[in-house]
Amino acid sequence: MRFSALLRKELRECLPWILLAAVVFFAFGGFFLRAAAYFGDRYWRYSRFSPGTTVSPYDLTCYPTLQTAGPWLFFSSIGLGLILGVRHFWIPHFTRTWPFLLHRSVSRKTILAAKLTAGMIAFVISLGALWVGLFWYATRPEVFPIPQAPRVFIEGWIFIMLGLVTYLGTALSALSTANWYTTKIFGLIFATFTTITLLSTVWAIGLIAVSTAILLVQIFDTFLRREF
Amino acid sequence: MKLKIELKHIATPIKIFMIVLIILIVLLILQGIIIQTERLFTRKKQLPAPAEAKAELAEEEKRVDRIRRSAKEFLPDGTIHLVHNLGHTPGRADIPAKEQIYDVNDKLLWEGPSDKRPFEYLSWAEQLRRKFTQQRMKEIQMITPGFSRFVEIPIGSDGKAEQIWRYYPWGQYFKGYKTSGEKIGYAGSTGFTDSKSQVKPLGKFRFFTAWCPQDSSNPVLLWQTQRRIYQIDFERRNVELIFESADSDISMDYLHAWRDFKPYAKEYVDPEKYRPLLLCRTEDGKHHLILREPKQQLSFAVPRSSVTATKQDIFVRRFGSDALPPKGIANSRELFDKWLQERRGKPRNLWTELYKVNNQGGLDLLNRYDWTLPTPSERLVRARDSSIAVKRYISQLSPPFYDLIFRLLGVRFWSSDYYYQHRGDFFFGLIRTILDFRPQGGIINWILSALMMIVVFLHDWPRRTSWARFVFWLVFVGAFNIAGLLTYLALNHTVVIECPVCGKRRGLAQVDCVRCQAELPAPERGKLDLIFST
Repeated sequence: MRFSALLRKELRECLPWILLAAVVFFAFGGFFLRAAAYFGDRYWRYSRFSPGTTVSPYDLTCYPTLQTAGPWLFFSSIGLGLILGVRHFWIPHFTRTWPFLLHRSVSRKTILAAKLTAGMIAFVISLGALWVGLFWYATRPEVFPIPQAPRVFIEGWIFIMLGLVTYLGTALSALSTANWYTTKIFGLIFATFTTITLLSTVWAIGLIAVSTAILLVQIFDTFLRREF
Repeated sequence: MKLKIELKHIATPIKIFMIVLIILIVLLILQGIIIQTERLFTRKKQLPAPAEAKAELAEEEKRVDRIRRSAKEFLPDGTIHLVHNLGHTPGRADIPAKEQIYDVNDKLLWEGPSDKRPFEYLSWAEQLRRKFTQQRMKEIQMITPGFSRFVEIPIGSDGKAEQIWRYYPWGQYFKGYKTSGEKIGYAGSTGFTDSKSQVKPLGKFRFFTAWCPQDSSNPVLLWQTQRRIYQIDFERRNVELIFESADSDISMDYLHAWRDFKPYAKEYVDPEKYRPLLLCRTEDGKHHLILREPKQQLSFAVPRSSVTATKQDIFVRRFGSDALPPKGIANSRELFDKWLQERRGKPRNLWTELYKVNNQGGLDLLNRYDWTLPTPSERLVRARDSSIAVKRYISQLSPPFYDLIFRLLGVRFWSSDYYYQHRGDFFFGLIRTILDFRPQGGIINWILSALMMIVVFLHDWPRRTSWARFVFWLVFVGAFNIAGLLTYLALNHTVVIECPVCGKRRGLAQVDCVRCQAELPAPERGKLDLIFST
């Protein structure tokens, strides 16, 4: 009961940002996807092939039709991760509301779990649900006749998970008691390295799982031990 | 409380890991910046003024320079000519470049525009390794903000695509769709099938090239896997196995007259004069020659060679030099550096040979040409030395255990073949970059590590809470050098107070003084202390 009350409070606080991310992704991602379906001729390159000539292998590679929605999902996710991390763990420092939150007869573990659950729900609702909807729309034969590859759907969820890593990195930086010029920003740096590495390797899911575990363990340890 | 205690045992090592990882990456970036900055300035210094350099050349030097720059071409009868390209007229790239043709006795045979050349030399199979390799395949599978890419082959007619064949890297097969969305079937190693259960994987992808035949605008693929080469024609629904290596992986391919281009195409080879040829080299050093018209297959082992097949004969051209590293040492950086040091300052002898393949598959030497190149200028050598020295000093800040990792990875990790296979892999590239800055057992590195251990000893002695922890940090800093010291300070720097009993410094993390075992002083009771006064 206490947990659900805390969860509702956290969700209520970050609702504007959840809606903003959802609107940005849905409006821009959906618009560009619709435009791609309406105007796009994905196989225009075919007309460049002429008999008796070499074909550049790069002309035989192409992005998926959902490419236009990808950057909106990626940047919305990263942005939402940063904002939620600040809202959940940094703002209480500035408004000095940590003692008020912690003095209640609720364990720190419950408070932290409520915040993290609210963060995850925010990602799943605002971006995850929309991504599922957009992908379903793109797989309809009347929109794009050639089916979407399942890999694209997974990659969309990897973007959403990347936002979660950013959220956890921001949270760790906010909770750290170190000075900003020492290790306070290491949580954010670690999330940045994860993002850069993820864009350079095919082992994305494993990397995100390891990064999430590293950040979560430290967040729990710091939150349960530190003084506010 | 229980969770706190249990978490501490996991969280502390994870925190150390994360911090030291970030510091090591930042250190690597700084080392890279310093090296690149140094190279930038050194490069500026070592570039000579072109006019000045040319003015200093004597007649003999000019002759040697011309021989060096000349292409060594062969006539079908084995005669060698040296073709010296004089370049385009400045500002007139539309006019063919001028060239001079010399015989092996340095006698000028002809001079004029390259398109009017009176001799027809043998053309050779071209290496295809720099086209679409497994590294490129990995790169297109990397996630970008626009998702990862696919290999999709459009097939159609009248300038409009009607089918799409998409490659699935995990299944190693193609899946075809009509542009109306209807599924067509699959293409794998056993050919085209209708159901997924019947399709067999092509094999681990290595390389592909594509072209349109003269009678079609639909691409045909030459698809190389680890052990096989296929020719895939989607229009005719045909997967042909061209070559299969039973014992060794295929490392690279050469093609000549294999693809039927139109005469205006850049890579056109006259099919009236040459036989279609595919040469593939396997990792065991063998060359496998696959010929058409008629079908024929030969195997031989000649390093640094290229091949061509006219309608009458098969030729092998070989290039050699005593300036090339001997086999075996190219895999070891130390041996290579040592060999390079010994080679430095000596002239280079080079040669090229032409062989004809006889009926038994043996090679008969037809002709050979030798030439010598002078020693590279000292100025250049000195510039390279400064770059190496800067890198050596910068590398002294790296953790000493990099050397151990370098040894554990073995010689194969540093071989050119291994590099070529894993070039696009992020972690492979990262490890190579990191180990490129290994300290190489430098004495400065050991001294720095020892100094940092002393700093930690002095810093941690009054703050120590247990011997195990104290020893761990000493070893850690010794192993990680400056990254270890910074990690230690980030996690362990606490305030010290003066012990009221012995007067020496003591940390606040332990109740007893590390020197006199006196307990921490209790706070004095104040007048407004509500807790103690009640």
